[in-house]
Amino acid sequence: MSLTQGTPTTAEANAAAPAKLRPAPDPRRRRGSREVRSAQSSKTLFLMILPFLVLIFLFSYLPLAGWVTAFYDYRPALGMSGSEFVGFQWFEMLVSSPTQMQQIGQVLTNTLAMSFLGFATSLLPVFFAMLLNEIRAPWFRNSVQTLTTLPNFISWVLVYMIAFSLFSTSGLVNSVLHDSGLITTPIKFLDTDQHVWLAMLLWSLWKGLGWGAILYLAAIAAIDPALYESARIDGAGRFQIMRYITFPHLMPTYVVLLVLSIANMLNNGMEQYYVFQNAFNKEYIQVLDLYVYNIGITGNSLSMATAIGMLKSLISVLLLVAANAVAKRARGTSII
Amino acid sequence: MKSRKAAAILVAPLVGALSLTACSGPGGENESTEAVSIDQDWSQADPITVDVFSGLANYMGIQSGWFGKIVEDKFNMELNIIAPNVAGGGDTLYNTRVSGGDLGDLVIVDKGQQMDELIQGGLLLDASRYYESMENVAPFDPAVEKLNEGSDGVYGFPTAVSTLLPTEPSEGLEPTFGAYLRWDLYGEIGYPDVSTLEDLLPVLQEMQRAQPEAENGQPTYAISLFGDWDGNMMVTAKQPATLYGYDELGFVLAAADGSDYQSIIDSDSEYVRALRFYFDANQMGLVDPESTTQNYDTMFSKYQNGQVLLAWWPWLGQSAYNTEERMAEGKGFELLPLDDQKVFSYGAEVYGGQQILGIGSGAEDPERLAAFIDWLYSPEGVMANSSQTMGSAGPEGLTWELGDDGEPALTDFGRQVFLEGGADVPAEWGGGAYEDGVSALNINTVLPKDVNPEIDSPYSYTYWPSYQESVANPLTEDWSSRVGGATTAMEYLETAGELIVAPGASYVAPPDGSEIEANRNQAKAAIIEHSWKMVFAKDEAEFESLLTSMQNTANGLGYEAVLEFDMANAQAQNESREAVAAEFG
Repeated sequence: MSLTQGTPTTAEANAAAPAKLRPAPDPRRRRGSREVRSAQSSKTLFLMILPFLVLIFLFSYLPLAGWVTAFYDYRPALGMSGSEFVGFQWFEMLVSSPTQMQQIGQVLTNTLAMSFLGFATSLLPVFFAMLLNEIRAPWFRNSVQTLTTLPNFISWVLVYMIAFSLFSTSGLVNSVLHDSGLITTPIKFLDTDQHVWLAMLLWSLWKGLGWGAILYLAAIAAIDPALYESARIDGAGRFQIMRYITFPHLMPTYVVLLVLSIANMLNNGMEQYYVFQNAFNKEYIQVLDLYVYNIGITGNSLSMATAIGMLKSLISVLLLVAANAVAKRARGTSII
Repeated sequence: MKSRKAAAILVAPLVGALSLTACSGPGGENESTEAVSIDQDWSQADPITVDVFSGLANYMGIQSGWFGKIVEDKFNMELNIIAPNVAGGGDTLYNTRVSGGDLGDLVIVDKGQQMDELIQGGLLLDASRYYESMENVAPFDPAVEKLNEGSDGVYGFPTAVSTLLPTEPSEGLEPTFGAYLRWDLYGEIGYPDVSTLEDLLPVLQEMQRAQPEAENGQPTYAISLFGDWDGNMMVTAKQPATLYGYDELGFVLAAADGSDYQSIIDSDSEYVRALRFYFDANQMGLVDPESTTQNYDTMFSKYQNGQVLLAWWPWLGQSAYNTEERMAEGKGFELLPLDDQKVFSYGAEVYGGQQILGIGSGAEDPERLAAFIDWLYSPEGVMANSSQTMGSAGPEGLTWELGDDGEPALTDFGRQVFLEGGADVPAEWGGGAYEDGVSALNINTVLPKDVNPEIDSPYSYTYWPSYQESVANPLTEDWSSRVGGATTAMEYLETAGELIVAPGASYVAPPDGSEIEANRNQAKAAIIEHSWKMVFAKDEAEFESLLTSMQNTANGLGYEAVLEFDMANAQAQNESREAVAAEFG
């Protein structure tokens, strides 16, 4: 441990122990001058970071005050002070009956399933970017890229409208199939409990694939052209170049994005699931965020929804700690 | 290291401050209890715009058209309507506004829990200072007293009050519920006798065969369902129970005369019977496959286009389909005389209906609002305010006038508005389409069936002899001849003894406790989800297994505790009905 990095206490301990063995280079004076300088630069650095601390406080910590709702029977008209304090009642209710626990279990299963399906398909944008990069004609490449990126800017409500006009019982697909004599009764695409996860995955892929590839396209542009040249001189074919040059160079970017998405495992958002939900697919489509919304806003049980939201945060912290422990073992660094 | 410490020092007190974040506490002290007269010429007062939170309004924004002009002329006041129905998102708008401490200057909310918590939270103004001079409300003093029982002032004013007996139906010509079907098609297949609910299925099938396509070329279905009104249960599956004299109270179906109380999820309940009815109908191809994804508006337009053949409400089937033109051709929805029916009817509420009017504690000019509320109970106000579909007649001189014989009759303009699908209002009355200028408050202060003391006839034009004579048409004549000469559905039901009136006791169930409420919300979500799946189950076995699953899931989510609570309330409701019937009727 070096003096520059150590805290004052470790520095002193270091200084004290070997002092008898070798002539000490006056530690106090060196430290003194360095402290003045580092104190100044720390101050500047701190001032630079201050606005962000304030923002983080305002948007990430202040809302935590709302957690107090979970311990009250909160009625907006009475305010928090007028509402009854109920302690852990809501938490107890969550584990009060097997059905209740089963329901939460199903919600967690859906949440994790959607997340893992997301991880499983997270390589698709990489391949898509690689293939896109191989297209020679710029006008074709640009139009493919534009067309695949556009869906990202369509809101989920509009996506649902598209889905509805295509796949409802009187939608385009059913009409075409019916008119061509292939089916007699309409196929239920939207109001069914079959293949819900798969359908949701496909919709989010359709919406996000092109957008997800943009980052990788940028990473490809940053690869040293000399590598390609030498590979070509060595006789590598097109697919060999993709396999041995492009792909490995995209991996660092991919891993960073994957790790970030693991941290978001429980947050798969609710817009997509909210617009697609109905009585028939509810069992499989209800992810944690949507469940909280359904209980809190639709069901008007604000306090209970807060309790579930709190549990979600606690589980996320546990996940983080676990991931951190793994990272510490594997790479020797820790985020805390 | 230093900066980390500094950050910690900075953050620590802020974290501490978390616990101090402000909660908007209840405010609004009563300043004085001295009586203030509202009697003055408000048309000369400064112009103001008041926020009106109306739980029933279906329009959001400034009240425009002829009603807006009347209010402006009389009170120099504009009404800015805030409508949670339009905003969507359930109680979100209400919750946000009340936690902000200001629901509106004039509020229309439910009595019971909502009113109680608004009083407790200090969001409603005590209007007792103005009450003494509110002369038009005075005749309904018992209802006002009853409504404000238990509070220390006058916070709310009742709606739908009436001077009729509680044992008399509150409905006028048509009941609230009833099996209404396309009478022309029913005639086409030979007016078959229908002895009970299930016998309706083959009849509907034949009717659907008789007209497989509507006027617009789309396929017709006997039944079309929708989900956006689902509350404690699937709303369309509750309706058949009303034909047998039941109405819902939470998870209980209570008979109008207190003779029976059913838990909706019991295998032999009227609710499950209705689910089975829909299931069978779906197996026979009678249910619109779009039912699962459509909302009320989409379904309503299907009724307008003649794509649906059965409706559980006159205000759905008839108001959507029965136009003058079609009725002249003998087409339209009419009540089916089901042999074993005992249609549920709401008795006239002596103490008022579900909604209340109140003045917000933050109102800028409470005096003027009190005067406005008072005016809403005056004959002029009732005529103008409650003229929704088939309601009161509108302003005198515009839509109606007193004839030479002293009897009220619709003017030519009135006939255009009510019978021929609308007309533009003359500029001196405010302009615009008549329909767009109707009061957006969407409440009746006084029941339209009640008698207007100034003209000695009911407020609603539909009771006037002059109106009834003029609207007879081939459809109603045919229907009338088939049901023994009755001219209205209510007349038929009453003479045939197929109506059961629940005395109007204005019963309000006590608020759910927090646990009951949470259990109810979860159980009802499970019930609704299963109900829909049951209707569209692929076979009998799946239907049965879903029924078992519904019962188990609901019970596992605390259904029984809620049911016990609802059962007690249903019995209390019946006691209050008996009490009010004994006292008044």
